[in-house]
Amino acid sequence: MPIQPVKRGDTVLEARGITKRFPGVVANDHIDFEIRAGEIHAILGENGAGKTTLMKILFGLLQPDEGEIFVHGQKVTFRSPLDAIHLGIGMVHQNRKLIPAHTVLENIILGHPKAGSIPDMRRTRVEIAEICDRYGFKIDLKAKVWQLSEGEKQAVEILKTLYRGARILILDEPTSALAPPETEKLLASIRIMTGDDLALVPFITHKLPIVLDVSERVTVLRRGRVTARLRTSEATENSLAREMVGREVIFRLDHVDVEQGKPILEVEGLSALNDKGQLALQGVSFSVHEGEIFGIAGVSGNGQQVLAEVLAGLRKAVAGRVLMDGVNITRSSSLERWKSGMGYIPSDRIDVGSIGPYTLMDNVLMNYYFDRTFSTWGIVDSRKTRKLTEGLIAEYDIATPGPDTTARSLSGGNLQKLILARVLSRKPRLIIANLPTQGLDVGATEFVQNKLLEAKRQHAAILLISEDLDEVLSLSDRVAPIYEGEFMGILPVKDAKIEDIGAMMAGLKQKVAQP
Amino acid sequence: MRLGKYEVKLEKKARVTGVEATAISLLAILIGLALVGLIFLQAGVSPLTGYKAIFSYAFANAFGLPLTINRSVFILLCTCAFIVPMKAGLWNIGTAGQLYGGTLVAFGVALVFGAKDPQTPTLAPGIVIALMMLGAMLGGALIGAIPGFLKGRFNTNEIVVTMMLNSVGYWLIAFMIKEGGPFMGGGGEGQGFKLSESIFGPMILGGTFTIPIALALAALLYFVFAKTTLGYQIKAFGLSPSAAKYAGISPHNVPLLVFILGGVIAGLAGYHYFAAVPGVYKIPTNYGDFGDLSFYGIICGLISQGNPLAAIPFALLFGGLTNGGRFVQGQLQLGYGIDYALLGVLMITLVAFQFFYRNTLVWKKLERES
Repeated sequence: MPIQPVKRGDTVLEARGITKRFPGVVANDHIDFEIRAGEIHAILGENGAGKTTLMKILFGLLQPDEGEIFVHGQKVTFRSPLDAIHLGIGMVHQNRKLIPAHTVLENIILGHPKAGSIPDMRRTRVEIAEICDRYGFKIDLKAKVWQLSEGEKQAVEILKTLYRGARILILDEPTSALAPPETEKLLASIRIMTGDDLALVPFITHKLPIVLDVSERVTVLRRGRVTARLRTSEATENSLAREMVGREVIFRLDHVDVEQGKPILEVEGLSALNDKGQLALQGVSFSVHEGEIFGIAGVSGNGQQVLAEVLAGLRKAVAGRVLMDGVNITRSSSLERWKSGMGYIPSDRIDVGSIGPYTLMDNVLMNYYFDRTFSTWGIVDSRKTRKLTEGLIAEYDIATPGPDTTARSLSGGNLQKLILARVLSRKPRLIIANLPTQGLDVGATEFVQNKLLEAKRQHAAILLISEDLDEVLSLSDRVAPIYEGEFMGILPVKDAKIEDIGAMMAGLKQKVAQP
Repeated sequence: MRLGKYEVKLEKKARVTGVEATAISLLAILIGLALVGLIFLQAGVSPLTGYKAIFSYAFANAFGLPLTINRSVFILLCTCAFIVPMKAGLWNIGTAGQLYGGTLVAFGVALVFGAKDPQTPTLAPGIVIALMMLGAMLGGALIGAIPGFLKGRFNTNEIVVTMMLNSVGYWLIAFMIKEGGPFMGGGGEGQGFKLSESIFGPMILGGTFTIPIALALAALLYFVFAKTTLGYQIKAFGLSPSAAKYAGISPHNVPLLVFILGGVIAGLAGYHYFAAVPGVYKIPTNYGDFGDLSFYGIICGLISQGNPLAAIPFALLFGGLTNGGRFVQGQLQLGYGIDYALLGVLMITLVAFQFFYRNTLVWKKLERES
């Protein structure tokens, strides 16, 4: 069936009664929706609401157990993504499926039938450049993919699907990895595309305001069912969150006032190199006190990760000192730090924070195997570990069949809850939380933030690293915007203006010297 | 896929039970044997006669059975030597080099204490035997420590280093036992000296004393990896080095430790075959064959998925087939290499059938389309 010309407002894709069951769960339960040409139709849902399954069904990666899909009014069956691609459906993955060592152009034409076995590079380059001009993608086709920012990589993915003639674009979490200016650029391109009568279907978990900003229609999923079908103009951030989570969500947290005690963490002139051997952290000095949340705000890749790793003992410092309780721990191993009451919540939950094939019990043990009360003669006290794990699952409301389940079967939010539960259960006096809510849905984000505030009430010193400025401002007592490995200033949140911090994150030093 | 009235579907499976794993392995062995049966047919021998000859010699013959058991113990020890680094996600392709190293130190100890036939040792035989075993473990550990250290410190590829050390060990033994070498035996036959009779590895109930040691070691390793903090740390490193580092597990020490342990066990394998198996008690001319035999430890370790107890029946099977295969080759006048063909095919079917550990076939009767 050839791709037919469509008019704005025509229904191009329709799903009726899509149902998909997996052992023990109904991932999609009679889902209906319509996608129209020239429209942005967001599909909203928490982690585990069935978004991924639905996305895979629409792109032919999974076959529904029941239900029908219509493209341009005709019933279709997708046996593989190839069938979907032929009908003009394109998918922009969240985890970029590009070859880093190849150029942008090579990535776009890779596997493209038009390119043939001997690609006519000049012609394809002209064709792709035309698409770039039309939709406002400013990208160097000769650049290698590894040199690109996340936003540019996403643009390459979009170009790839457009060059294959896609008219219906499925976008998986399109803005989650992008810095604010890149998000703006992407949204601008998306607006031009809808002007061209393309249909866009972004699947979104978080960053609700962006959804409100660009899309015309929203379908909200919860536990595999459609809970709301709205015109965006009728929706508010709060109403969408309520539909997603199933209850009211408070976006502004009340500030928790705790009397601050002595400094727990003191950092003096700390510098460190990144994996490429470049100086990524340049002479940072600060301290974090008992009962204080010290926030570090910055756009990804400005040295936060390096700072967190140095503090956790996972990376060497090239200059400066780290003191905990007044003791120099700059050269201590991670293990010594954990034993002396430091807790670290890593940003990479899957590769660093957990061991996928290990059970939840064994994952909890990651912070306990060295604890003498959890082993005798080197033999793990499995009864005690099980009890602890069961307790944490209940206390943190982790959705799982039990402590013998593997960690890789948990959803992102539940995995983060597990990591948080494990770290906080040791009652650390110093917590380093690196992007603790990144990629989490509204409900889980709220949960994690409340747990951090609870730790603060119990007089823990907390270093919060976040790319979400709202989060930093609502949780922290003091904030340090970081830019290219340097603090642009340290200021109390009470006196901070969001515009000033935004400017400092972009590299403007604080005008008034810190008293 | 459709087959007549049925639809066959492949589905992913979350985990495999012990019973299923055993059934899958047995099926794989049967199919492997059936395939090799074709070779027997081609050579004009009934497969039933062939297999009867192989199995009866390997497992029910007064001469064959001890040979099978001695080989199986050797393979089991090599399997354990492979499994320990495997749990840490590292490949010990160097059990041969490590067992050569262990053998050299063990025989060095014997020489130092005057236990070269026809002398009598200068210390009590029991003590010399214990020292020889310690020497074997030490020698294996030394060879094993090299790839372990290089891996931990410089992230050097352990496969390349262990394989190169196999050659080093091979030629080191050649240098020691051939003409003019310090371990040279009498008669200029290119073999090492014979041990004094008093320090032959003791026998228990007609078997070598290394049999219970190997079985106990397999059980101990199983326990270490199932229950202890040490096993926990090694496995954590193997599953995710970055997560293990975050948990405070040293990325330098784990590779060193597992390769030292692997070397210790491989060293014992060397001691077992050359100093405790009746009729050997020396480094023989064909010592290289045992280096080759140690490679069955890798296959055994992979098939048993790193479970040292599950490795026991596989070690016994491979020990029996190498032994029985060689025997029928002569007896039934089959072509050269039938024993290797048999083992090769079995390995392939066993590895191929591991597919069913993760996948399962589902049969569904098709409903008539209305």
